[in-house]
Amino acid sequence: MRRIFYLVGQNLKRKPFRTWLTVGAVALACAVLFSAAILSRGIHVTLRTAAERLGADIVAVPASAGEDALSALISGNPTSFYMPASLEDAVRKVPGVRQTCAQVYLRSLDAACCVAPVALVGYDQERDFTITPWVLRKMAEPLRNDQIIVGAKVISAVVGTPAKAIGQRLMFMGKPFTVASILEPTGLGTDYTVFLTMETAYQMIQGSPLYTVPVKRDQISTILVKVAEGANPTEVSGNIEKQLPQIKTYTPGALMRSFSGQLQSLVDALFTAGVLFGILAAALTGTLFTLSVRQRMREIGLFMAMGAGRGLIFRLIVLEAACLAVSGGLLGVIVGWAATRFSRETITEMIGNMYMWPDTAYFIQVAVLTAAATTAVGILGALYPAGRISRIEPYEAVRKGE
Amino acid sequence: MIRLEALGKRYKNVEVLNRVSLTVDDGAFVIITGRSGGGKTTLLSIAGALTRPDEGSVCIDEVDILQLPEPELAALRNRKIGFVFQFPSLIAPLTVLDNVLLPVAFSDRNPNHADRDFAESLLEQVGITGKNALYPSQLSGGQQRRVAIARAMMNRPSIILADEPTGDLDETTEAEIMNLFQGINHRGTTVVMVTHALDYAGLGRAYVLKNGGLLPYAGSALAPEASAQGGNALAPAVSAQGEVL
Ligand SMILES: Nc1ncnc2c1ncn2[C@@H]1O[C@H](COP(=O)(O)OP(=O)(O)O)[C@@H](O)[C@H]1O
Ligand SMILES: [Mg+2]
Repeated sequence: MRRIFYLVGQNLKRKPFRTWLTVGAVALACAVLFSAAILSRGIHVTLRTAAERLGADIVAVPASAGEDALSALISGNPTSFYMPASLEDAVRKVPGVRQTCAQVYLRSLDAACCVAPVALVGYDQERDFTITPWVLRKMAEPLRNDQIIVGAKVISAVVGTPAKAIGQRLMFMGKPFTVASILEPTGLGTDYTVFLTMETAYQMIQGSPLYTVPVKRDQISTILVKVAEGANPTEVSGNIEKQLPQIKTYTPGALMRSFSGQLQSLVDALFTAGVLFGILAAALTGTLFTLSVRQRMREIGLFMAMGAGRGLIFRLIVLEAACLAVSGGLLGVIVGWAATRFSRETITEMIGNMYMWPDTAYFIQVAVLTAAATTAVGILGALYPAGRISRIEPYEAVRKGE
Repeated sequence: MIRLEALGKRYKNVEVLNRVSLTVDDGAFVIITGRSGGGKTTLLSIAGALTRPDEGSVCIDEVDILQLPEPELAALRNRKIGFVFQFPSLIAPLTVLDNVLLPVAFSDRNPNHADRDFAESLLEQVGITGKNALYPSQLSGGQQRRVAIARAMMNRPSIILADEPTGDLDETTEAEIMNLFQGINHRGTTVVMVTHALDYAGLGRAYVLKNGGLLPYAGSALAPEASAQGGNALAPAVSAQGEVL
């Protein structure tokens, strides 16, 4: 068998163009499939995590808020929109709704403390179920009016590790606050949000020059909804909109999908391209090996005349294809890996910082799978020519090869 | 022993062999001549299990090889038969030594030291020394043919089938190579050779392949050119087709 490997090696060296063409085709198919799988998994992980982290099954905003609401929820863009607080009670009465809590968004200036613009949000401590579960360090007492809970990225850039942020004093709109706790990173807008008590939020609105007509206590920005056990969020969401037309609702899944739609179509395109390239690679290996086998007909005939059996000839050709396909697969994985690494920033820019990359274990899994799949494709392409040539009579092979 | 009986072979509408019979005893030296396109290579290929006749039977050492399954046929080609082709037949990307070792590689084991020593001694016998690491393209036509002969001997076959082994060589080289085959034959190997070099017809029993049939060669009275032109010029001693044994 050692000699067979040697023969294969020599033969590959003899045909550098064919060798590289095959390796390239397999590598291309592999790289594209790899990237598609990674991105698609990323989207999946992002959707799931985002839905989990948002903590609410439904988010209700004023219908008039439009795209502003989306951008505030996803990216934490400081925007503001308001609706009557009484709507919360109305929402709670909609069948299938188990729990609600309100939040009020503040119109804020760029805060001096922080790199990115942060959103100031007042939340209802008593009813809240979306903030408190995600604090890094549990608070013994309820949040005081001079305290804040900050998103993971609000001040970590300033003080280093997130935990160090606790106890820090920060100024917002001329008012000093102490950081009571910090939220786990979510990849969502909450990472750039500062949470205050409702009390403080309304106070700050009163004192802000940004509000010509002050927003009063009977105004809120969003209502977060938890549905009853067994209820379908999409259905409940529809019910809310039907009963309260002044409200627009989002389910986190739909929310994320609307933002990752662009990425999803890229992934779809990549998958299609990957499959096409795979077919192309198989066809190419098939053609190249058919040509190569025809060229080497005499040599193969000579091998047979010297006693090489059909099985050996078959293995010789398939092994050669396998060498090319395996190299192509490995190269493809490396290229795919590099491509996804370097496209990270572009993708993050495209859909905001909520995009979550799959972990290394998944990368490795995908690498092994795509490399194996494309290797199989390459070998598949060589099977037919190998089968045909190994069935020919030695005399015919020698004669035709002349 | 090779026993070919009533072989028939046709390609499309051309009948190349018609009821050809031939028996070659162990240790015999058989020479086959005949005009170009007369079917000599076809006959030799049938005897070497490289192709099948349309009719007739082929027995090697009392085994009907046409009944053998493919793997056993491959093993037979590997162990019992050494085939020297009409054209240069070395494998270009392999060195001289690796070429000679190929038949071992195609048996079910890897070549070992003893194989290497034997290959080297074979190369020496055919007059190729100090060229083990060279590639075929670095050798002359005559040298390549010698290496091919050494390769055919590698698995110590009992039968050597040589198809015009001196066809494209000069007279001196031809004489040396004929000498080589004579030596191989003297050491006990059966040799069947196709050649136009009828000066050497005396090396063994000679036949002419003509009109699809095999006839005994009449003798050295004829110039090689005459027989190469066609069977008509041959002596009247020729008997009925396919009856020669
Ligand atoms: N595979 C084949 N297909 C068609 N014709 C063939 C084939 N092999 C041999 N022939 C024809 O059969 C005849 C005998 O060929 P061959 O045995 O090579 O003759 P020789 O060796 O005596 O020159 C030639 O006319 C040749 O063209
Ligand atoms: Mg011939």
